[in-house]
Amino acid sequence: MTIEAAKPTRKKLPLKERYARLTRDLDWEPSYVSREELFPYTRYEGIKIHDWDGWQDPFRLTVDAYYKYQAEKDKRLYAVLDSFAQGQGHLTLSDASYFNAIKLFIQGVTPLEYAAHRHFAFLARHLEGPAPRFAALCQSIDELRHCQTQIHTISNYNKYYGGFHSWSKMHDRVWYLSVPKSLLDDAMAAGPFEFLISISFSFEYLLTNLLFVPFMSGASFNGDLPTMSFGFSAQSDESRHMTLGLEAIKFLLEQDEGNVPIIQDWIDKWFWRAYRMSALVAAMMDYMLPKPVMSWKEAFELYFEEQMLGGLFPDLAYYGINPPRHVDDAIAEKDRLSHEVYRILHNFSFAAALTTHTPNDTHMEWLSQQYPDTFDRYYRPVWNKHRRIEEAGGRVFFQGLPQLCQVCQVPMAFSEVSDPTRISLRRSEFRGEAFHTCSDGCKWIFDREPEKYVQAWLPVHQIYQGNCGGATIPEVLAWYGIQDGENGEYRGSADQLAWAAWHADETGTAK
Amino acid sequence: MTVKALYDYEFPSADRAEVFGDDQLVYVLWDGNPLLCSAACFRVPKATSFAKFLQATVYPWAASDPDFDPDTVRDWRLFDEPISPAADRSLAQLGVGHKALLKFST
Repeated sequence: MTIEAAKPTRKKLPLKERYARLTRDLDWEPSYVSREELFPYTRYEGIKIHDWDGWQDPFRLTVDAYYKYQAEKDKRLYAVLDSFAQGQGHLTLSDASYFNAIKLFIQGVTPLEYAAHRHFAFLARHLEGPAPRFAALCQSIDELRHCQTQIHTISNYNKYYGGFHSWSKMHDRVWYLSVPKSLLDDAMAAGPFEFLISISFSFEYLLTNLLFVPFMSGASFNGDLPTMSFGFSAQSDESRHMTLGLEAIKFLLEQDEGNVPIIQDWIDKWFWRAYRMSALVAAMMDYMLPKPVMSWKEAFELYFEEQMLGGLFPDLAYYGINPPRHVDDAIAEKDRLSHEVYRILHNFSFAAALTTHTPNDTHMEWLSQQYPDTFDRYYRPVWNKHRRIEEAGGRVFFQGLPQLCQVCQVPMAFSEVSDPTRISLRRSEFRGEAFHTCSDGCKWIFDREPEKYVQAWLPVHQIYQGNCGGATIPEVLAWYGIQDGENGEYRGSADQLAWAAWHADETGTAK
Repeated sequence: MTVKALYDYEFPSADRAEVFGDDQLVYVLWDGNPLLCSAACFRVPKATSFAKFLQATVYPWAASDPDFDPDTVRDWRLFDEPISPAADRSLAQLGVGHKALLKFST
């Protein structure tokens, strides 16, 4: 190539000034429509903004800097993916059961990245200040990149293992994936400021470490180099999103005193929504990793109790913000959450695009050490009963469909805060109809906006309405896109048999 | 509190009784059995007798636990109210309405 680059005729402006021009000078006052017509969504939630230029973005990112940096990161990630694929890296993982965690990730989390991309693009159009619009635009592009890089990273496993092929369809249809899907739908159906508090603050700031770090460190511990590399690639974006979340909440709180109670209400709601969804991550951490990294309880104490309740909320007290309502219930549940949720998956994996299994002796010993107050007393006896039944050739599956929580959509399997042996059942009446919720947190959310949650697409009720492919389990599974052998029990599943055969080829004996 | 919106926010409930016609949804919880993670949800005719509901619906589900013995089923409750359902009465006659929760112990 002999084409010469045109020589710049003028020196580039310094970065700070370019950012200032991008996020302040490029904006204009509308002349032939009113501001209200141009930005129709920024008033009805009751939030008052007096000065949009009060928004301070500590990263001061510009378009060229953003693309240059992201391109370098992508190059590194794709180099890892290529070499892992060429070296048959999937065979070096800890065990094929590990993939259940990654199936949950691509089915449950990756579509959330895409949904977040869509809605940040909406904010990039509809927030009134140019600086927050640009911050939302960058995050929108980040979320799209995350979605794409996750698809590219994980798609390599689709050649060899079940459950990876129809994750997008599954996300829209399968019962346990309605938990994350309904959370993002709830956020996208809210106004722009509530969305900022729900996703940027409650999700990306309060709980992001609890939601993402366990997957990435689980990947690292279990030999999944591609997923770990994706995690590193996303990490710098995530810290930018966390900063955006914190900046968003401080900006809104500083603009008007009247904003404080509205935001407190949203924090109360969205902490519990995001926390309930994280119950799936708890089950993943404690039960789905062949080599567990840290327990849910330990992660909750470190990333939430220490960093958020100990670090963040004392700072927010200055603005009049309290720790989230119902946070004590979350703390009280930390010894039980993962056990109660894996029990759901274990009962219902015949209808899941992943498999489950009763933990073995080593794993139960680890659980017992991590949960000295609860595991041996409440959960080991149940797993022992499963084992007795399985040793006699049986396998307990729930021969029916579960009762779901109207808000979080998780089967109603959580226990009373005061009693781990009693299921927590809450009920509201609205327009003469009963609505069931799993906890004080979800009931409070329902009662705040019953008109919204009565519309919930509850997978169990939809099956009974005939909207999910038919009335029998095989018909529903076909509609879900789940293929034979990728659901149910891990032992004897297609993944486990293939794994055993590949390793028998290597060593001469099946593992 | 109601939903803040830019328009009249009025939508029907997704699972309102009329959607299910002559049937209704009923939840059944086997209280105190940790093998089954949650209550079950069934779609059944309102006119079903309690006996038929047990034989055709509840017992086959409860048999998910191989130790289940129908003879040990006791202490029926409708939500939290203790009830003694007559076997030949229909769910409707027993006051078991749409999305009602029945509990039993063993």
